[in-house]
Amino acid sequence: MAPLKPWWLMVTFLSGMAVGMLAMAMNSEDLILEHRNNRLEFSAPRTDFFAGKSAQRLENALEVPFAIQTTLWSGNNKHVFKSSTARFIVSKDIFDPKPSYSVVMVGTSSRKAVAHQSAKAAQAWCLSQMSLDTTGLSATEPLWARLDIRAEEPAREGSVLGDKVDQSGISLLTTLIDVFSKPPGSQPAWMLDYSPGFTLDSLRHTRGS
Amino acid sequence: MRKWTIVLALVVGSPIWAGVTDDSALADSAITAAAAEPESTNVNARYIIEGVNISGSESRNTIANLSSSLKTELKQVVGAKLDSSKLDKLASRLKDELKATRVKIHVTKGTRPEHVLVNFEVAKKPVDLKVAKFLYDSEQGWSGEGTAATHFNGNTVTLGLTSDCDDLLERYAGIRAKFERDSLFTDRLGMVFEFDDFHEMWNPATATAGAPELYRSRQVFTPEARVKIAGPLEIDLGVRFARYRLSTPDPAETESSNAVVSTLRYHQRWGSGIDIQEQQLDASYSLESAMRLLGTDAEYTRNLVQARYEFRRDRNKIDATFMTGVIEGQAPLYDRFVLGNAEALRGWNKFQLDPVGGSHMVYGSVEYTYRYYQVFYDNGAVWDRAQDCEPKQSVGAGFKKDGFQLAVAFPLRTVHPNPIFFAGMNF
Repeated sequence: MAPLKPWWLMVTFLSGMAVGMLAMAMNSEDLILEHRNNRLEFSAPRTDFFAGKSAQRLENALEVPFAIQTTLWSGNNKHVFKSSTARFIVSKDIFDPKPSYSVVMVGTSSRKAVAHQSAKAAQAWCLSQMSLDTTGLSATEPLWARLDIRAEEPAREGSVLGDKVDQSGISLLTTLIDVFSKPPGSQPAWMLDYSPGFTLDSLRHTRGS
Repeated sequence: MRKWTIVLALVVGSPIWAGVTDDSALADSAITAAAAEPESTNVNARYIIEGVNISGSESRNTIANLSSSLKTELKQVVGAKLDSSKLDKLASRLKDELKATRVKIHVTKGTRPEHVLVNFEVAKKPVDLKVAKFLYDSEQGWSGEGTAATHFNGNTVTLGLTSDCDDLLERYAGIRAKFERDSLFTDRLGMVFEFDDFHEMWNPATATAGAPELYRSRQVFTPEARVKIAGPLEIDLGVRFARYRLSTPDPAETESSNAVVSTLRYHQRWGSGIDIQEQQLDASYSLESAMRLLGTDAEYTRNLVQARYEFRRDRNKIDATFMTGVIEGQAPLYDRFVLGNAEALRGWNKFQLDPVGGSHMVYGSVEYTYRYYQVFYDNGAVWDRAQDCEPKQSVGAGFKKDGFQLAVAFPLRTVHPNPIFFAGMNF
């Protein structure tokens, strides 16, 4: 058996490093953060959360509830500085010749809706509602951010999910906390971390504000 | 002027009321306050359902067996506005009642403007492996049956392996093969072919009790037509060809028992598993007539009437069962009536009641279940001559959940009320 050449080891190590760095870079690119007017805004232009099982339901005129959570950790990645959770009910008009999505944000004190949107615009609108207040954070404090999106199970007979769509206030919040406290299971889910950690200053320098 | 001022104020004010910030990337004109129509989270909720259909491999045969409440709800959505959660719940109920792997909802444009058609597509597993029966009886020992079924183009092929010492006088072990077709030219007509090949073992009590003719093995072929007469009523008509190899005196000797078989069945269900109250009624009358015309060795006629009523309210359930049967002529042992097993007159040993079975039988049972706990009272008699008719009773209690059952039953009014334990699934 031929002896293992040292430069082969070096090439293998460097390739592994490159792949790892590329994966990390791609991961951070999936979640984009911007800091404006003391709010941290989330966007994920490369993540299509209407795809897959949800798309099948939407094509069949059924609504799909999505639970979205944004979280910001400060100091160390154990302390949650701010978190926001909301439910969005998405549907697609089957009679409209162009792809036309409607979204209703339910359960918050002010119920909002958007209609006649492309899939991309509808998804962007959902995330635009999930910004976090950064008042009280210093510009150099290390931060970590996460975007968690879960497509919820369709309503089952005997379950209360169908009724949850119109829940509001505390009961909805409790339900959403319950949703995010469990692993996603078989339902489509996306968890995007902004890594490595960042500061508000670094966001200003890299993205501008 | 004042009117235009109000309109302008509403147009400018609406995004603010809706809580949408000015820096939103979306056009404000597209954003509306949904509070005007609070119940409609689905943009398609304004469309009317023109019709509902159920499709899939199992649909034809099983729609008739759906609960009346589900049928009513399926009818009720026609003409109503599309409601996603309602359709999801109906799909979930269909999945439960049809025991399907998956029920998919397809909504397409209807034939009229702003109308849609809903199709529930029912799908079964490609291969369905099942423990059809698994039982431990402290008097008789183990019994079990496993089956594998596959569905294709409206056909079902089932293969099973069994070893059972519970429901007949003999322990029979072997294979079952069954082909079923839901519809033959019309949805009202189906067909079933079943072939069984079993080897027998006998309890000494039967072997020494002067049983008519013991056999070592038997093959049974039963082609049947299944006709749906109306709604919950259907009838099976067919012929059963059975050939069995005798144990004595000449092991090579075979006999035949060929009979016309027919079963009239009635099944009705009110409510379903998710309703607070549910009732089910199953009743059947079976007639088997072995005649010389079919080349049978023994002529006989066997009549059996069975009825079962189940009433459930919330977690309380009552089951009442009744059976009676009469055999005229000399039937083979596998066709004679047996009581004292895990299904009828629990707590009694069938070999102590009548080691060769009976030509007459009557049986009744009442069972009460609260959640998973059950108590039951059985009463019945099996006999050949009227003077031998001696009703027996038993009581028992147990635990039952999702097909699994653990029970103990005691015979009443006997010198040795020894309990019999049952444990297993689907018996």
